[in-house]
Amino acid sequence: MTDQLGSELLKLRTTRTTAWFLLAAVAVTVLGTLVEGLSTSLGRLAQEDPQRTVLGAGGSGATLFATFAGLIAVTSEFRYGTIRPTLLFEPRRRVVLGAKLAAATLVGIVFAVVCLLVSFGAGLVILAERNVDVTLSGAQMLALVLGTVAASALGGVLGASVGALIRNQVGAVVAIVAYAFLVDAVVFAAVPSVGRFLPGKAGDALAGQPVEHLLAPALGGAVLVAWTLLFAAMAAVRMDRSDI
Amino acid sequence: MVAAPACTEHRWVEPVLSAVGLTKRFGDLVAVGDLSFELNAGSVTGFLGPNGAGKTTTLRMLLGLAEPTHGRALVFGRPFAELERPATRVGAVLEAADVHPGRTGRNHLRVLARAARIPVSRVEEVLELVDLKGAAGRRAAGYSLGMRQRLSLAAALLGDPELLVLDEPANGLDPEGMRWLRDFLRAFATHGRTVLVSSHVLAEVAQTVDQVVIINRGRLVVESPLSELTARLAGTIRVEAVQPDVLEAALRDAGIASERTNGKLHVHGVTAERVGEIALAAHVGLRELVTESASLEEVFLELTTEPPS
Repeated sequence: MTDQLGSELLKLRTTRTTAWFLLAAVAVTVLGTLVEGLSTSLGRLAQEDPQRTVLGAGGSGATLFATFAGLIAVTSEFRYGTIRPTLLFEPRRRVVLGAKLAAATLVGIVFAVVCLLVSFGAGLVILAERNVDVTLSGAQMLALVLGTVAASALGGVLGASVGALIRNQVGAVVAIVAYAFLVDAVVFAAVPSVGRFLPGKAGDALAGQPVEHLLAPALGGAVLVAWTLLFAAMAAVRMDRSDI
Repeated sequence: MVAAPACTEHRWVEPVLSAVGLTKRFGDLVAVGDLSFELNAGSVTGFLGPNGAGKTTTLRMLLGLAEPTHGRALVFGRPFAELERPATRVGAVLEAADVHPGRTGRNHLRVLARAARIPVSRVEEVLELVDLKGAAGRRAAGYSLGMRQRLSLAAALLGDPELLVLDEPANGLDPEGMRWLRDFLRAFATHGRTVLVSSHVLAEVAQTVDQVVIINRGRLVVESPLSELTARLAGTIRVEAVQPDVLEAALRDAGIASERTNGKLHVHGVTAERVGEIALAAHVGLRELVTESASLEEVFLELTTEPPS
Protein backbone atom coordinates (compact mmCIF):
# COMPACT_ATOMS: atom_id res chain seq x y z
CA MET A 1 0.00 0.00 0.00
CA THR A 2 2.77 2.49 0.82
CA ASP A 3 4.54 1.60 -2.43
CA GLN A 4 1.39 2.24 -4.40
CA LEU A 5 0.72 5.46 -2.49
CA GLY A 6 4.26 6.57 -3.29
CA SER A 7 3.58 5.80 -6.94
CA GLU A 8 0.29 7.71 -6.91
CA LEU A 9 1.88 10.75 -5.29
CA LEU A 10 4.67 10.62 -7.87
CA LYS A 11 2.02 10.52 -10.61
CA LEU A 12 0.47 13.69 -9.22
CA ARG A 13 3.82 15.45 -9.15
CA THR A 14 4.93 14.42 -12.62
CA THR A 15 2.18 16.00 -14.68
CA ARG A 16 1.24 19.65 -14.58
CA THR A 17 -2.46 18.99 -13.99
CA THR A 18 -2.38 19.07 -10.20
CA ALA A 19 -0.25 22.21 -10.12
CA TRP A 20 -2.67 23.97 -12.49
CA PHE A 21 -5.58 23.03 -10.26
CA LEU A 22 -3.74 24.36 -7.22
CA LEU A 23 -3.02 27.58 -9.08
CA ALA A 24 -6.69 27.88 -10.00
CA ALA A 25 -7.69 27.25 -6.38
CA VAL A 26 -5.31 30.00 -5.23
CA ALA A 27 -6.67 32.39 -7.87
CA VAL A 28 -10.23 31.74 -6.74
CA THR A 29 -9.10 32.21 -3.15
CA VAL A 30 -7.45 35.56 -3.85
CA LEU A 31 -10.54 36.74 -5.68
CA GLY A 32 -12.89 35.52 -2.96
CA THR A 33 -10.84 37.08 -0.17
CA LEU A 34 -10.63 40.42 -1.95
CA VAL A 35 -14.34 40.52 -2.75
CA GLU A 36 -15.46 39.49 0.73
CA GLY A 37 -12.86 41.60 2.50
CA LEU A 38 -13.35 44.79 0.52
CA SER A 39 -17.08 44.73 -0.25
CA THR A 40 -18.39 43.80 3.19
CA SER A 41 -19.37 46.81 5.28
CA LEU A 42 -17.25 47.73 8.29
CA GLY A 43 -20.21 47.25 10.57
CA ARG A 44 -20.69 43.67 9.44
CA LEU A 45 -16.96 42.93 9.44
CA ALA A 46 -16.92 43.65 13.15
CA GLN A 47 -18.96 40.45 13.60
CA GLU A 48 -17.51 36.99 13.75
CA ASP A 49 -19.40 35.35 10.88
CA PRO A 50 -18.29 37.79 8.16
CA GLN A 51 -14.75 37.44 9.50
CA ARG A 52 -15.08 33.69 9.03
CA THR A 53 -16.20 34.28 5.46
CA VAL A 54 -13.17 36.45 4.69
CA LEU A 55 -10.51 34.37 6.42
CA GLY A 56 -12.01 31.06 5.26
CA ALA A 57 -12.45 32.24 1.67
CA GLY A 58 -9.84 29.67 0.64
CA GLY A 59 -12.14 26.81 1.53
CA SER A 60 -14.50 26.72 -1.42
CA GLY A 61 -11.73 27.03 -4.03
CA ALA A 62 -9.60 24.42 -2.33
CA THR A 63 -12.49 21.95 -2.01
CA LEU A 64 -13.74 22.46 -5.56
CA PHE A 65 -10.33 22.05 -7.17
CA ALA A 66 -9.28 19.24 -4.85
CA THR A 67 -12.42 17.45 -6.05
CA PHE A 68 -11.38 18.07 -9.66
CA ALA A 69 -7.82 16.96 -8.96
CA GLY A 70 -9.08 13.70 -7.44
CA LEU A 71 -11.43 13.20 -10.35
CA ILE A 72 -8.79 13.81 -13.00
CA ALA A 73 -6.20 11.68 -11.19
CA VAL A 74 -8.45 8.66 -11.64
CA THR A 75 -10.11 9.38 -14.99
CA SER A 76 -6.82 10.22 -16.72
CA GLU A 77 -5.70 6.65 -16.04
CA PHE A 78 -8.63 5.43 -18.08
CA ARG A 79 -8.36 8.19 -20.67
CA TYR A 80 -4.71 7.50 -21.44
CA GLY A 81 -4.80 3.77 -20.72
CA THR A 82 -2.18 4.00 -17.97
CA ILE A 83 -4.59 1.99 -15.81
CA ARG A 84 -3.27 -1.08 -17.67
CA PRO A 85 0.39 -0.72 -16.66
CA THR A 86 -0.76 0.46 -13.23
CA LEU A 87 -2.70 -2.78 -12.69
CA LEU A 88 0.05 -4.90 -14.22
CA PHE A 89 2.40 -3.53 -11.57
CA GLU A 90 -0.18 -3.75 -8.75
CA PRO A 91 -3.03 -6.08 -9.69
CA ARG A 92 -4.81 -5.78 -6.36
CA ARG A 93 -7.50 -3.35 -7.43
CA ARG A 94 -8.41 -2.26 -3.93
CA VAL A 95 -4.82 -1.40 -3.15
CA VAL A 96 -4.71 0.78 -6.25
CA LEU A 97 -8.03 2.45 -5.44
CA GLY A 98 -7.10 2.84 -1.78
CA ALA A 99 -3.80 4.48 -2.73
CA LYS A 100 -5.61 6.81 -5.12
CA LEU A 101 -8.11 7.83 -2.45
CA ALA A 102 -5.30 8.36 0.06
CA ALA A 103 -3.40 10.47 -2.46
CA ALA A 104 -6.56 12.48 -3.15
CA THR A 105 -6.93 13.05 0.60
CA LEU A 106 -3.43 14.48 0.74
CA VAL A 107 -4.16 16.65 -2.29
CA GLY A 108 -7.23 18.03 -0.51
CA ILE A 109 -5.21 18.75 2.62
CA VAL A 110 -2.40 20.48 0.72
CA PHE A 111 -4.85 22.53 -1.37
CA ALA A 112 -6.73 23.64 1.77
CA VAL A 113 -3.57 24.54 3.67
CA VAL A 114 -2.19 26.58 0.77
CA CYS A 115 -5.51 28.33 0.12
CA LEU A 116 -6.06 29.05 3.81
CA LEU A 117 -2.58 30.54 4.09
CA VAL A 118 -3.55 32.82 1.21
CA SER A 119 -6.99 33.76 2.54
CA PHE A 120 -5.80 34.21 6.13
CA GLY A 121 -2.78 36.21 4.96
CA ALA A 122 -4.67 38.44 2.55
CA GLY A 123 -7.74 38.57 4.79
CA LEU A 124 -5.84 39.66 7.90
CA VAL A 125 -4.01 42.35 5.91
CA ILE A 126 -7.30 43.68 4.50
CA LEU A 127 -9.00 43.65 7.90
CA ALA A 128 -6.01 45.43 9.45
CA GLU A 129 -5.96 48.01 6.66
CA ARG A 130 -9.66 48.66 7.21
CA ASN A 131 -9.03 48.93 10.97
CA VAL A 132 -11.28 45.97 11.78
CA ASP A 133 -10.65 44.27 15.08
CA VAL A 134 -10.47 40.52 14.53
CA THR A 135 -12.74 39.18 17.23
CA LEU A 136 -12.47 35.49 16.29
CA SER A 137 -10.63 33.64 19.02
CA GLY A 138 -7.68 31.40 18.30
CA ALA A 139 -9.86 28.37 19.00
CA GLN A 140 -12.50 29.60 16.54
CA MET A 141 -9.85 30.13 13.89
CA LEU A 142 -8.46 26.66 14.51
CA ALA A 143 -11.95 25.20 14.14
CA LEU A 144 -12.35 27.07 10.86
CA VAL A 145 -9.02 25.77 9.59
CA LEU A 146 -9.60 22.17 10.64
CA GLY A 147 -13.13 22.11 9.23
CA THR A 148 -11.98 23.58 5.95
CA VAL A 149 -9.06 21.16 5.63
CA ALA A 150 -11.34 18.22 6.39
CA ALA A 151 -13.93 19.37 3.83
CA SER A 152 -11.27 19.77 1.16
CA ALA A 153 -9.73 16.37 1.94
CA LEU A 154 -13.13 14.69 1.71
CA GLY A 155 -13.76 16.62 -1.53
CA GLY A 156 -10.63 15.08 -3.01
CA VAL A 157 -11.72 11.58 -2.01
CA LEU A 158 -15.23 12.17 -3.33
CA GLY A 159 -13.81 13.39 -6.65
CA ALA A 160 -11.52 10.36 -6.97
CA SER A 161 -14.43 8.02 -6.13
CA VAL A 162 -16.73 9.63 -8.69
CA GLY A 163 -13.89 9.36 -11.21
CA ALA A 164 -13.52 5.64 -10.53
CA LEU A 165 -17.28 5.24 -10.94
CA ILE A 166 -17.74 7.21 -14.15
CA ARG A 167 -14.25 6.69 -15.67
CA ASN A 168 -15.02 8.80 -18.70
CA GLN A 169 -13.13 12.01 -18.03
CA VAL A 170 -15.37 14.45 -19.86
CA GLY A 171 -18.49 12.78 -18.49
CA ALA A 172 -17.18 12.89 -14.94
CA VAL A 173 -16.17 16.55 -15.17
CA VAL A 174 -19.56 17.49 -16.62
CA ALA A 175 -21.28 15.50 -13.89
CA ILE A 176 -19.35 17.20 -11.09
CA VAL A 177 -19.76 20.69 -12.54
CA ALA A 178 -23.47 20.16 -13.19
CA TYR A 179 -23.86 18.81 -9.71
CA ALA A 180 -21.86 21.46 -7.86
CA PHE A 181 -23.23 24.49 -9.67
CA LEU A 182 -26.71 23.28 -10.50
CA VAL A 183 -28.18 20.44 -8.46
CA ASP A 184 -26.56 21.36 -5.18
CA ALA A 185 -27.31 25.08 -5.46
CA VAL A 186 -30.83 24.74 -6.84
CA VAL A 187 -31.99 22.11 -4.37
CA PHE A 188 -30.52 24.06 -1.45
CA ALA A 189 -32.20 27.26 -2.60
CA ALA A 190 -35.55 25.58 -3.23
CA VAL A 191 -35.70 23.14 -0.32
CA PRO A 192 -32.93 23.98 2.16
CA SER A 193 -34.05 21.30 4.60
CA VAL A 194 -33.12 18.70 1.97
CA GLY A 195 -30.35 20.54 0.16
CA ARG A 196 -28.28 20.93 3.28
CA PHE A 197 -27.80 17.16 3.37
CA LEU A 198 -26.24 17.15 -0.09
CA PRO A 199 -22.43 16.71 -0.21
CA GLY A 200 -21.64 20.27 -1.31
CA LYS A 201 -23.63 21.95 1.44
CA ALA A 202 -22.54 19.40 4.02
CA GLY A 203 -18.99 20.37 3.05
CA ASP A 204 -19.76 24.07 3.50
CA ALA A 205 -21.20 23.25 6.92
CA LEU A 206 -18.09 21.25 7.86
CA ALA A 207 -15.86 24.10 6.73
CA GLY A 208 -17.73 26.31 9.21
CA GLN A 209 -19.17 28.65 6.63
CA PRO A 210 -21.78 30.98 8.13
CA VAL A 211 -24.65 30.35 5.70
CA GLU A 212 -28.25 30.18 6.81
CA HIS A 213 -29.93 26.73 6.90
CA LEU A 214 -26.64 24.81 6.87
CA LEU A 215 -26.20 21.90 9.25
CA ALA A 216 -24.01 22.32 12.32
CA PRO A 217 -20.32 21.73 11.42
CA ALA A 218 -20.08 18.38 13.20
CA LEU A 219 -23.27 17.04 11.65
CA GLY A 220 -22.27 18.43 8.25
CA GLY A 221 -18.98 16.61 8.64
CA ALA A 222 -20.72 13.36 9.50
CA VAL A 223 -23.01 13.70 6.49
CA LEU A 224 -20.09 14.42 4.15
CA VAL A 225 -18.16 11.45 5.54
CA ALA A 226 -21.21 9.26 4.89
CA TRP A 227 -21.46 10.48 1.28
CA THR A 228 -17.75 9.95 0.77
CA LEU A 229 -17.89 6.42 2.17
CA LEU A 230 -20.89 5.63 -0.02
CA PHE A 231 -19.14 6.78 -3.21
CA ALA A 232 -15.86 5.15 -2.22
CA ALA A 233 -17.69 1.86 -1.62
CA MET A 234 -19.42 2.07 -5.01
CA ALA A 235 -16.08 2.86 -6.63
CA ALA A 236 -14.53 -0.19 -4.94
CA VAL A 237 -17.31 -2.45 -6.21
CA ARG A 238 -16.94 -1.13 -9.75
CA MET A 239 -13.16 -1.44 -9.57
CA ASP A 240 -13.40 -5.02 -8.29
CA ARG A 241 -15.92 -6.24 -10.79
CA SER A 242 -15.16 -4.62 -14.08
CA ASP A 243 -12.77 -5.68 -16.79
CA ILE A 244 -10.08 -3.27 -17.81
CA MET B 1 4.51 -16.21 1.48
CA VAL B 2 3.14 -18.96 -0.70
CA ALA B 3 5.58 -21.78 -1.33
CA ALA B 4 7.28 -21.44 -4.68
CA PRO B 5 7.12 -24.42 -7.05
CA ALA B 6 10.22 -26.52 -7.30
CA CYS B 7 13.08 -24.86 -9.07
CA THR B 8 15.54 -26.87 -11.16
CA GLU B 9 18.24 -25.91 -13.60
CA HIS B 10 15.43 -25.58 -16.13
CA ARG B 11 13.86 -23.09 -13.75
CA TRP B 12 10.12 -23.75 -13.79
CA VAL B 13 9.01 -27.32 -13.98
CA GLU B 14 5.40 -26.34 -14.38
CA PRO B 15 4.21 -24.38 -17.39
CA VAL B 16 5.09 -20.71 -17.22
CA LEU B 17 1.65 -19.84 -18.40
CA SER B 18 -1.46 -21.90 -18.91
CA ALA B 19 -4.96 -21.33 -20.17
CA VAL B 20 -7.33 -24.04 -19.02
CA GLY B 21 -10.73 -24.08 -20.71
CA LEU B 22 -10.57 -20.31 -20.83
CA THR B 23 -13.88 -18.79 -21.87
CA LYS B 24 -15.08 -15.22 -22.10
CA ARG B 25 -18.61 -14.29 -23.09
CA PHE B 26 -19.92 -10.80 -23.71
CA GLY B 27 -23.65 -11.41 -23.69
CA ASP B 28 -24.29 -13.83 -26.54
CA LEU B 29 -20.91 -13.28 -28.11
CA VAL B 30 -18.29 -15.87 -27.25
CA ALA B 31 -15.06 -13.88 -27.50
CA VAL B 32 -12.94 -16.77 -26.25
CA GLY B 33 -14.31 -20.31 -26.10
CA ASP B 34 -12.84 -23.16 -24.10
CA LEU B 35 -9.29 -22.22 -24.96
CA SER B 36 -6.46 -24.30 -23.53
CA PHE B 37 -2.74 -23.99 -24.14
CA GLU B 38 0.51 -23.88 -22.22
CA LEU B 39 3.84 -22.17 -22.51
CA ASN B 40 7.00 -23.80 -21.28
CA ALA B 41 10.00 -21.91 -19.99
CA GLY B 42 12.40 -20.79 -22.66
CA SER B 43 9.92 -20.82 -25.51
CA VAL B 44 9.05 -17.99 -27.85
CA THR B 45 5.44 -18.47 -28.80
CA GLY B 46 3.49 -16.65 -31.47
CA PHE B 47 -0.11 -16.12 -30.43
CA LEU B 48 -1.79 -15.76 -33.76
CA GLY B 49 -5.17 -15.13 -35.25
CA PRO B 50 -6.99 -12.60 -37.38
CA ASN B 51 -8.14 -9.33 -35.89
CA GLY B 52 -11.05 -9.97 -33.56
CA ALA B 53 -10.05 -13.58 -32.95
CA GLY B 54 -9.94 -13.04 -29.18
CA LYS B 55 -6.17 -12.65 -28.72
CA THR B 56 -6.29 -9.47 -26.66
CA THR B 57 -9.21 -10.74 -24.58
CA THR B 58 -7.22 -13.89 -23.83
CA LEU B 59 -4.15 -11.89 -22.84
CA ARG B 60 -6.26 -9.62 -20.62
CA MET B 61 -7.60 -12.67 -18.81
CA LEU B 62 -4.11 -14.11 -18.41
CA LEU B 63 -2.91 -10.79 -16.99
CA GLY B 64 -5.74 -10.39 -14.51
CA LEU B 65 -7.33 -7.43 -16.27
CA ALA B 66 -10.46 -9.32 -17.30
CA GLU B 67 -12.33 -12.01 -15.44
CA PRO B 68 -12.90 -15.28 -17.36
CA THR B 69 -16.52 -16.42 -17.66
CA HIS B 70 -15.22 -19.97 -17.25
CA GLY B 71 -11.89 -21.63 -16.97
CA ARG B 72 -8.61 -20.62 -15.45
CA ALA B 73 -5.78 -18.37 -16.50
CA LEU B 74 -2.58 -19.15 -14.62
CA VAL B 75 0.82 -17.54 -14.67
CA PHE B 76 3.54 -19.45 -12.83
CA GLY B 77 0.77 -21.67 -11.53
CA ARG B 78 -1.30 -18.89 -10.03
CA PRO B 79 -3.80 -16.27 -11.13
CA PHE B 80 -1.82 -13.18 -12.10
CA ALA B 81 -3.38 -11.06 -9.35
CA GLU B 82 -2.04 -13.45 -6.71
CA LEU B 83 1.58 -13.09 -7.77
CA GLU B 84 3.87 -11.36 -5.34
CA ARG B 85 5.28 -8.21 -7.03
CA PRO B 86 4.10 -9.44 -10.45
CA ALA B 87 6.22 -6.94 -12.37
CA THR B 88 9.29 -8.90 -11.35
CA ARG B 89 7.82 -12.08 -12.85
CA VAL B 90 5.83 -10.90 -15.86
CA GLY B 91 6.38 -7.94 -18.17
CA ALA B 92 3.53 -7.11 -20.49
CA VAL B 93 2.58 -4.55 -23.10
CA LEU B 94 -1.05 -4.54 -24.16
CA GLU B 95 -1.32 -1.11 -25.75
CA ALA B 96 1.75 0.77 -26.80
CA ALA B 97 0.13 4.15 -26.28
CA ASP B 98 -0.58 3.62 -22.57
CA VAL B 99 1.36 6.68 -21.49
CA HIS B 100 0.17 9.99 -20.04
CA PRO B 101 1.09 12.58 -22.69
CA GLY B 102 1.98 15.15 -20.05
CA ARG B 103 4.51 12.93 -18.29
CA THR B 104 8.09 12.42 -19.43
CA GLY B 105 9.19 8.97 -20.46
CA ARG B 106 11.54 8.78 -17.51
CA ASN B 107 8.83 9.76 -15.03
CA HIS B 108 6.42 7.25 -16.60
CA LEU B 109 8.92 4.55 -15.71
CA ARG B 110 9.67 5.98 -12.28
CA VAL B 111 6.00 5.97 -11.37
CA LEU B 112 5.76 2.26 -12.22
CA ALA B 113 9.09 1.39 -10.62
CA ARG B 114 7.94 3.04 -7.40
CA ALA B 115 4.81 0.86 -7.27
CA ALA B 116 6.86 -2.34 -7.55
CA ARG B 117 9.75 -1.24 -5.32
CA ILE B 118 12.16 -1.30 -8.24
CA PRO B 119 15.23 0.93 -7.76
CA VAL B 120 15.40 4.14 -9.80
CA SER B 121 18.73 3.01 -11.28
CA ARG B 122 16.84 0.30 -13.15
CA VAL B 123 14.84 3.02 -14.93
CA GLU B 124 18.06 4.29 -16.52
CA GLU B 125 19.06 0.74 -17.46
CA VAL B 126 15.86 0.00 -19.35
CA LEU B 127 15.93 3.43 -21.01
CA GLU B 128 19.39 2.52 -22.25
CA LEU B 129 18.19 -0.90 -23.33
CA VAL B 130 15.43 0.45 -25.58
CA ASP B 131 17.60 3.35 -26.74
CA LEU B 132 15.31 6.03 -25.36
CA LYS B 133 17.72 7.84 -23.08
CA GLY B 134 17.90 10.93 -25.25
CA ALA B 135 14.15 11.49 -25.23
CA ALA B 136 13.52 10.36 -21.65
CA GLY B 137 13.32 13.91 -20.33
CA ARG B 138 10.72 14.98 -22.87
CA ARG B 139 6.99 14.71 -22.36
CA ALA B 140 5.46 11.70 -24.07
CA ALA B 141 3.07 13.88 -26.07
CA GLY B 142 5.93 14.48 -28.48
CA TYR B 143 6.85 10.82 -28.89
CA SER B 144 6.31 8.92 -32.11
CA LEU B 145 4.38 5.67 -31.97
CA GLY B 146 7.66 3.78 -32.24
CA MET B 147 9.04 5.67 -29.24
CA ARG B 148 5.93 4.91 -27.22
CA GLN B 149 6.32 1.26 -28.18
CA ARG B 150 9.85 1.27 -26.85
CA LEU B 151 8.80 3.12 -23.71
CA SER B 152 6.09 0.53 -23.06
CA LEU B 153 8.62 -2.25 -23.64
CA ALA B 154 10.99 -0.52 -21.21
CA ALA B 155 8.19 -0.48 -18.63
CA ALA B 156 7.58 -4.18 -19.14
CA LEU B 157 11.28 -4.86 -18.61
CA LEU B 158 11.60 -2.77 -15.43
CA GLY B 159 11.18 -5.74 -13.11
CA ASP B 160 13.57 -7.95 -15.12
CA PRO B 161 10.74 -10.46 -15.67
CA GLU B 162 10.94 -14.13 -16.61
CA LEU B 163 7.94 -13.90 -18.93
CA LEU B 164 7.32 -11.23 -21.50
CA VAL B 165 3.87 -10.82 -23.06
CA LEU B 166 3.51 -8.47 -26.00
CA ASP B 167 0.24 -7.77 -27.79
CA GLU B 168 0.73 -6.86 -31.46
CA PRO B 169 4.14 -5.27 -30.90
CA ALA B 170 4.71 -4.87 -34.62
CA ASN B 171 1.98 -2.25 -34.95
CA GLY B 172 3.67 1.06 -35.56
CA LEU B 173 7.17 -0.34 -35.83
CA ASP B 174 9.19 0.33 -38.96
CA PRO B 175 11.12 -2.57 -40.51
CA GLU B 176 14.26 -1.58 -38.64
CA GLY B 177 12.37 -1.46 -35.35
CA MET B 178 10.84 -4.81 -36.14
CA ARG B 179 14.26 -6.35 -36.73
CA TRP B 180 15.51 -4.86 -33.49
CA LEU B 181 12.53 -6.33 -31.64
CA ARG B 182 13.11 -9.76 -33.21
CA ASP B 183 16.72 -9.81 -32.13
CA PHE B 184 15.74 -8.55 -28.71
CA LEU B 185 13.11 -11.25 -28.16
CA ARG B 186 15.49 -14.00 -29.27
CA ALA B 187 18.10 -12.76 -26.85
CA PHE B 188 15.51 -12.41 -24.11
CA ALA B 189 14.38 -16.02 -24.50
CA THR B 190 17.80 -17.46 -23.83
CA HIS B 191 18.51 -18.47 -20.24
CA GLY B 192 15.07 -20.00 -19.86
CA ARG B 193 13.04 -16.85 -20.21
CA THR B 194 9.75 -17.03 -22.03
CA VAL B 195 8.01 -14.85 -24.60
CA LEU B 196 4.42 -14.74 -25.78
CA VAL B 197 3.91 -12.40 -28.68
CA SER B 198 0.61 -11.91 -30.44
CA SER B 199 0.09 -10.88 -34.03
CA HIS B 200 -2.49 -11.06 -36.78
CA VAL B 201 0.27 -11.39 -39.38
CA LEU B 202 2.22 -14.62 -39.23
CA ALA B 203 5.11 -13.24 -41.27
CA GLU B 204 5.81 -10.68 -38.53
CA VAL B 205 6.67 -13.34 -36.03
CA ALA B 206 7.58 -16.34 -38.23
CA GLN B 207 11.29 -15.56 -37.88
CA THR B 208 11.09 -15.09 -34.14
CA VAL B 209 8.88 -17.78 -32.68
CA ASP B 210 9.54 -21.45 -32.21
CA GLN B 211 5.96 -22.43 -31.59
CA VAL B 212 2.57 -21.08 -32.49
CA VAL B 213 -0.82 -20.98 -30.87
CA ILE B 214 -3.34 -20.06 -33.53
CA ILE B 215 -6.87 -19.08 -32.59
CA ASN B 216 -9.85 -18.02 -34.62
CA ARG B 217 -13.19 -16.82 -33.35
CA GLY B 218 -11.99 -17.41 -29.83
CA ARG B 219 -11.18 -21.07 -30.38
CA LEU B 220 -7.93 -22.92 -30.68
CA VAL B 221 -7.05 -23.84 -34.25
CA VAL B 222 -3.50 -25.10 -33.90
CA GLU B 223 -0.97 -25.38 -31.12
CA SER B 224 2.27 -26.74 -32.47
CA PRO B 225 5.96 -26.13 -32.98
CA LEU B 226 6.54 -23.85 -35.93
CA SER B 227 8.57 -26.57 -37.65
CA GLU B 228 5.57 -28.93 -37.60
CA LEU B 229 3.37 -26.29 -39.10
CA THR B 230 5.95 -25.72 -41.82
CA ALA B 231 6.24 -29.44 -42.48
CA ARG B 232 2.53 -29.78 -42.77
CA LEU B 233 2.49 -27.48 -45.71
CA ALA B 234 5.34 -28.92 -47.66
CA GLY B 235 4.56 -31.09 -50.62
CA THR B 236 1.02 -30.75 -51.77
CA ILE B 237 0.83 -32.02 -55.34
CA ARG B 238 -1.77 -30.58 -57.63
CA VAL B 239 -2.57 -32.71 -60.66
CA GLU B 240 -5.06 -32.19 -63.43
CA ALA B 241 -5.77 -35.42 -65.24
CA VAL B 242 -7.70 -36.08 -68.45
CA GLN B 243 -9.52 -38.87 -66.61
CA PRO B 244 -9.46 -37.82 -62.98
CA ASP B 245 -11.65 -40.74 -61.86
CA VAL B 246 -9.14 -43.23 -63.18
CA LEU B 247 -6.20 -41.47 -61.59
CA GLU B 248 -8.05 -41.17 -58.30
CA ALA B 249 -8.67 -44.92 -58.32
CA ALA B 250 -5.07 -45.67 -59.29
CA LEU B 251 -3.77 -43.48 -56.46
CA ARG B 252 -6.15 -45.18 -54.05
CA ASP B 253 -4.84 -48.58 -55.17
CA ALA B 254 -1.34 -47.29 -54.40
CA GLY B 255 -2.51 -46.33 -50.94
CA ILE B 256 -2.44 -42.61 -51.60
CA ALA B 257 -5.38 -40.43 -50.63
CA SER B 258 -6.37 -37.50 -52.77
CA GLU B 259 -8.95 -34.77 -52.68
CA ARG B 260 -10.70 -33.41 -55.70
CA THR B 261 -11.54 -29.72 -56.03
CA ASN B 262 -12.64 -28.11 -59.28
CA GLY B 263 -11.71 -31.24 -61.15
CA LYS B 264 -8.14 -31.14 -59.91
CA LEU B 265 -6.67 -33.64 -57.51
CA HIS B 266 -4.62 -32.64 -54.49
CA VAL B 267 -2.28 -35.23 -53.08
CA HIS B 268 -0.32 -34.97 -49.85
CA GLY B 269 2.81 -36.65 -48.68
CA VAL B 270 4.21 -37.92 -51.99
CA THR B 271 6.47 -36.50 -54.64
CA ALA B 272 5.29 -35.26 -58.03
CA GLU B 273 7.50 -37.93 -59.60
CA ARG B 274 5.58 -40.72 -57.86
CA VAL B 275 2.23 -39.28 -58.96
CA GLY B 276 3.56 -39.13 -62.54
CA GLU B 277 4.62 -42.79 -62.43
CA ILE B 278 1.21 -43.87 -61.18
CA ALA B 279 -0.50 -41.85 -63.88
CA LEU B 280 1.71 -43.39 -66.57
CA ALA B 281 1.06 -46.91 -65.31
CA ALA B 282 -2.69 -46.23 -65.33
CA HIS B 283 -2.47 -44.71 -68.81
CA VAL B 284 -3.95 -41.44 -67.63
CA GLY B 285 -3.09 -38.32 -69.55
CA LEU B 286 -1.97 -35.38 -67.50
CA ARG B 287 -2.60 -31.73 -68.28
CA GLU B 288 -0.82 -30.38 -65.23
CA LEU B 289 1.39 -31.71 -62.45
CA VAL B 290 2.57 -29.12 -59.92
CA THR B 291 4.23 -29.19 -56.52
CA GLU B 292 2.53 -26.54 -54.43
CA SER B 293 4.62 -25.16 -51.66
CA ALA B 294 2.24 -22.99 -49.75
CA SER B 295 3.82 -20.18 -47.81
CA LEU B 296 3.27 -20.07 -44.10
CA GLU B 297 1.07 -17.09 -44.69
CA GLU B 298 -1.21 -19.10 -46.96
CA VAL B 299 -1.52 -21.80 -44.37
CA PHE B 300 -2.27 -19.26 -41.76
CA LEU B 301 -5.01 -17.79 -43.92
CA GLU B 302 -6.35 -21.22 -44.66
CA LEU B 303 -6.43 -22.07 -40.97
CA THR B 304 -8.03 -18.86 -39.88
CA THR B 305 -10.46 -18.16 -42.69
CA GLU B 306 -13.93 -19.52 -42.17
CA PRO B 307 -15.02 -21.70 -45.07
CA PRO B 308 -17.94 -20.06 -46.87
CA SER B 309 -21.10 -21.73 -45.66
